Amino acid sequence: KMAAGTSGGPGAPCRHHAQLGACESRAKYREGWRPRAVKCVYTINLESRYILIQGVPALGVMKELVEQFALYGAIEEYHALDEYPAEQFTEVYLIKFKKLQCARVAKKKMDERSFFGSLLHVCYAPEFETVQETREKLQDRRKYIAKATNQRDCFMLKKVEGPKKTASNNSEHDCPCSTSGSSIASNWDPSCFTNSPGVSHNTAYAAGNQNQSLLTPPHYDNNCAEISGYFGQNTSLTPSVHPGVCTPPASLMQHRKVPACNGIDRFMPRTTHLQERKRKREEGNKFSLIRTSEDNTEVVIGPQLPEIPKVDMDDESLNTSATLIRNKLKEVADSVSTSVEKPESSSAKPVLKQRRRI
Amino acid sequence: MELGRLEYLQALVTEFQVTDSTGKKRRCSLALSVSSISSHPRPFSFSLAEAKEQVLANLANFAYDPSNYEYLRQLQVLDLFLDMLTEDNETLVEFAMGGLCNLCLDKTNKEYILEANGVEPIINCLSSSNEETVVSAVTTLMFLTTPRSRAQTTALPVVECMLRFSLSANTRLSNLASIFLQDYCSPPQVEEARNLSRHTAVGIPLPKD
Repeated sequence: KMAAGTSGGPGAPCRHHAQLGACESRAKYREGWRPRAVKCVYTINLESRYILIQGVPALGVMKELVEQFALYGAIEEYHALDEYPAEQFTEVYLIKFKKLQCARVAKKKMDERSFFGSLLHVCYAPEFETVQETREKLQDRRKYIAKATNQRDCFMLKKVEGPKKTASNNSEHDCPCSTSGSSIASNWDPSCFTNSPGVSHNTAYAAGNQNQSLLTPPHYDNNCAEISGYFGQNTSLTPSVHPGVCTPPASLMQHRKVPACNGIDRFMPRTTHLQERKRKREEGNKFSLIRTSEDNTEVVIGPQLPEIPKVDMDDESLNTSATLIRNKLKEVADSVSTSVEKPESSSAKPVLKQRRRI
Repeated sequence: MELGRLEYLQALVTEFQVTDSTGKKRRCSLALSVSSISSHPRPFSFSLAEAKEQVLANLANFAYDPSNYEYLRQLQVLDLFLDMLTEDNETLVEFAMGGLCNLCLDKTNKEYILEANGVEPIINCLSSSNEETVVSAVTTLMFLTTPRSRAQTTALPVVECMLRFSLSANTRLSNLASIFLQDYCSPPQVEEARNLSRHTAVGIPLPKD
């Protein structure tokens, strides 16, 4: 039942933890009518960086379990939940991912999977979030929608007098987010929402803060909040990034760059991924109100440059690879431009590809 | 591919709408749509209500993905979600509310919902006994708050309700309510609601367990 009835906080079993049988993910189209397909609607409230894993065999395999899940992304925290009701000979674990996206994939892939002979049940555990974490989650969702739909929320851009200061005033700052070089930012990268020069908001809040703190003590988890510069909570506006203050061993804090390659291979062939993204892009272009022209007709003569669309691949490892390739090509192109060009290579087909004159 | 998806969504919505018509017709078309997608030979039973729920759940999940928004608007799914909020079937309300929560951040969708007076039925969902419905409603109200709409989304009864939610033992609910109060309400608003609740018992009740 709902945790509201019990005194237990985050540890108490909640209704949405119950094994719902074949609970389809939101992206999964109906493949066939499953008689007992339990309906499940995924909203941002249900999803979380925290995931609960039930059915782990009590064989002292925590290390292996965490390693398995770490394939899907950096893990911030993990521990066994001893108080949580578990079937005989099984244990329950809580894993907190650094990014919601990783938790989503991990859940999808690891749910109903056999692990040391036992079937795991993986679900989200949003009730473990702090207020700030929930807040950030909602903000990330805002940013994602704004970016995906090429919109700026009109509400965010307007200077509203008084208390209005929903956090994603940093939707204004989306641009630097997606183009910043080194940040292989996925859509959910909270580091985007940084020192917002929206200082104006805070003035209205400064007085209010004292009152508000009486209402609900903010569950302010300083340890693992990536960005803490949220107006309502702090007196200071500067975000403080806490690198690696969290508990898990350093080996798990490494970025996905290395292990993710293995993880991605499990999901889907890379070409399918790319094709899927291409298709989505084309679809998006077809229906978007603001047509982004790709200037295919621009004719520039010179050595043929390969087309590398600079899109956010929605995935950190793919973005890493894409950036590496892009940089490498840039390197090569730069070096080529200084050498003498042979007549043959600059001939023909000027229409589709961009070229440069040496 | 785009057409395929549109047709699929269309089929879903058609399935749904047809189940809303008279009894005889309803059953017929339902049987047809089931046999066309069933991959299991063994017979099973399900009800009309279950089929409706399944379709609505699918649509609500589609609403999570921005690439579907144009389709969903064309198929008037937003209206469908809003209509379902006043259904007796608690599950339908839950799914519809979830669907709205998923798609209301998009600017076009947001304006549409506000124009269609969607805030009122969403506020009513705050009194639901269904946890997911309430939680979705709180978030949706936050997402729908604009300079123009905030008078409605942060009306006194709503703020008072959020005050009580913020004290709930249900962490998800209390977190969201706290964010609502801290980020979307002004201190005077919160103060006013606090004073009100001290003196009267009027307000939106907490969801039952």
